[in-house]
Amino acid sequence: MTIDIFWRIPTHGEPSSHRSKTPHRGDWFPGNDRLRERGLVGSGEDGFNYIDYLSEIARAAEISGFQGGLIPSFPMTDEPWIISAALARETETFRFMIPFQPGFLNPVTAARMTASLQRATGGRALYNVITGGGGPAQLWWGDSTGHDDRYGRTTEFLDILQGVWKGGPFSYQGKFYQVENAGLADPLSREEYPEIYFSGSSDAALASASKHADYYLSWLEPFEQLRQKFDRVKEKTHLLGRKIKCAVRVDIVARPTEEEAWDEVRLGFEGLSKEAIESFGRGDGGDSAGAARQWGNRPATINSYKDLIFEPNVWSGFNLLRGGQTNGIVGSYEQVAERLDQLVQLGADAFILASTPHLEEAYRVGEEVLPLVRGTSSAPALRAVG
Amino acid sequence: MALEFIWQLPTSGDSRYGNADKHRRGERASADHPYSPGVTDPRGTSFNYLDHLHEIAKATELAGFEGIRIPEDAQGDEPWILAGYIARGARHLKILTEFEASWGSAVYAAKNAVSFQRFTGGRLAWQIKTGGDTQQRRTQGDFVQEQDIHLRIEEFVTVARGVLTQSPYSFKGRFFEVLNGGFQGPLGGQVVPPVYLSGVTEADLALSANVADVHVFDAVPVATLKQQIANLKSNADEAKRKVSIGLRLDLIARETENEAFRDATRYRNQTRQTGSVDALEEHLWGGLTTHVTGANVTLIGSYQQVSAALIAYAEAGVSSFLLSATPHFEEAYRIGEHVLPLVREHFQPQQQRAA
Repeated sequence: MTIDIFWRIPTHGEPSSHRSKTPHRGDWFPGNDRLRERGLVGSGEDGFNYIDYLSEIARAAEISGFQGGLIPSFPMTDEPWIISAALARETETFRFMIPFQPGFLNPVTAARMTASLQRATGGRALYNVITGGGGPAQLWWGDSTGHDDRYGRTTEFLDILQGVWKGGPFSYQGKFYQVENAGLADPLSREEYPEIYFSGSSDAALASASKHADYYLSWLEPFEQLRQKFDRVKEKTHLLGRKIKCAVRVDIVARPTEEEAWDEVRLGFEGLSKEAIESFGRGDGGDSAGAARQWGNRPATINSYKDLIFEPNVWSGFNLLRGGQTNGIVGSYEQVAERLDQLVQLGADAFILASTPHLEEAYRVGEEVLPLVRGTSSAPALRAVG
Repeated sequence: MALEFIWQLPTSGDSRYGNADKHRRGERASADHPYSPGVTDPRGTSFNYLDHLHEIAKATELAGFEGIRIPEDAQGDEPWILAGYIARGARHLKILTEFEASWGSAVYAAKNAVSFQRFTGGRLAWQIKTGGDTQQRRTQGDFVQEQDIHLRIEEFVTVARGVLTQSPYSFKGRFFEVLNGGFQGPLGGQVVPPVYLSGVTEADLALSANVADVHVFDAVPVATLKQQIANLKSNADEAKRKVSIGLRLDLIARETENEAFRDATRYRNQTRQTGSVDALEEHLWGGLTTHVTGANVTLIGSYQQVSAALIAYAEAGVSSFLLSATPHFEEAYRIGEHVLPLVREHFQPQQQRAA
């Protein structure tokens, strides 16, 4: 079994480098989602718009050897189902990893959408099942279901998805969902069931993941903490008579030398305001256990980017530069590959990588880093030419 | 009043000329060789019905239609996915996507609509179906009571429009809720998908009066339609709203009337429709092609006769024509080349249709 490596599609725009929030790509205003601003490929007036940029990234990722990409969904982003359907014919091997919250879709609708997307792409759709961070963001979506109930709902959702997939007839009486004599129609019912990546760090999440997920997906945490988490998940799943694999979603900054890589981080950090650094790690009112595990490491004072280095080649301040998780891998191509291999040793079977800008970095990481990753092979990895 | 001609993507299959069997053209779900062993077939399982549907979308655009409709059919591929799938191949068509309000969260639907509008320059429209009977709806995971269907659609549209146009927006209803929601920045200010609804019951008309942009009637003789339109208008006036009129209609249009009736009769025979024709009028048959196209009524005649009938409907108040014919690919060209120009010429003489 070999390691799967995915890229990421930036559904919220992005800057053209880690060093500064401008110039940017897409029509989001850097740092303020209430405003609109034209960046590269953002005007729409010339007939081109942000989907054209995303198409380029998907193509770059597949040409460079990635499996496909995660297509994040949040209140301020574009949406993955539409992106995937629109790019189906503009990609050949790119696998569309669609995050969605089961509470938002009727499970039979989701089954039909997935099967049709499989038909549209030749089987290239897969899921990242997410269950939301709670709090005001959840109510923004119109979802008032509490944390543990949301995971119960996720389990029911996946029970039904699986039940109807091969055509049924399938009936189910759950707390959140009911179906009677349901089943996908032929030929939708012939499609391959999507692989499921599952996110969530709480006990309720692990219970749900153990039943249905193919991959348990985590952000990067301190390595030893992550190893324990993966061991726990695999053990819990084993008790249910299933096998689960583990995956890590992590940003990387890889350059020909370690110094150049840290320069990107340093320059980005030096461009931040005092307020931004002060509010860093203070929480957002949600109930996400994963977020809490990230911000537990915040030091009392942060004067330099170096204050956020807790492990070799890992920086814990990425949230300051672009939102999302705080930890990321920074180093030379060889060092980044070594860290990825280290994660494989402690239990990772797949990765979802990303960097900024996602277009050029897909080529860079695909061409320079991936060939150096041994994964599950004991043979020395290829050395890049030149 | 601007007319719009909307063709259709046959989501669960189509017929061919002189062959009424419904099947998915180009579908290669298995490697079964459709040719005799003596002839090479290079396809393997390379293609499926979606490739053909994509061709229909492009044909619809090239043939000059204003839009294409993607019907919701439990046996067929899912309309939202097909909408995204054809969006970049057909760069100017309005894409009228049908679904039921049991689809999921209204906010989530609106959010997907936002991305669709951003990527297509605002071409998404919604047709919301009341759905089948209780048994059918339960197979789709929908256990909402019959008497609540209209209210749910009304709430769905209200919430979707709310988050699309206001921020912050809050709503608490029986079926949907949202607290301080609403889209902003680049997600804000997107074109709200026009809402198409249908039906003839009082509840259907009352719902459309309250929330529809277009109410779609099945084709009936013009005199009857005028009464239905008047009924809808009085509902809409009470609600202080304007609702445009749509007409759903299948076509069998040929160079001559004889050819048209020959093909209609052959279709009837091949689909084993016995007994007398359900003729609403001489050229208007009920139930002929419903199992393939979903249309309840088919208009049969020469290009002249068919276009004259469409003109009469337009003069009675119809501005949206939701049309179809089998086979959908070839008929898009035929209708676009031979019928639509006659209708457009009548209303805009000597003028080129705006590109």
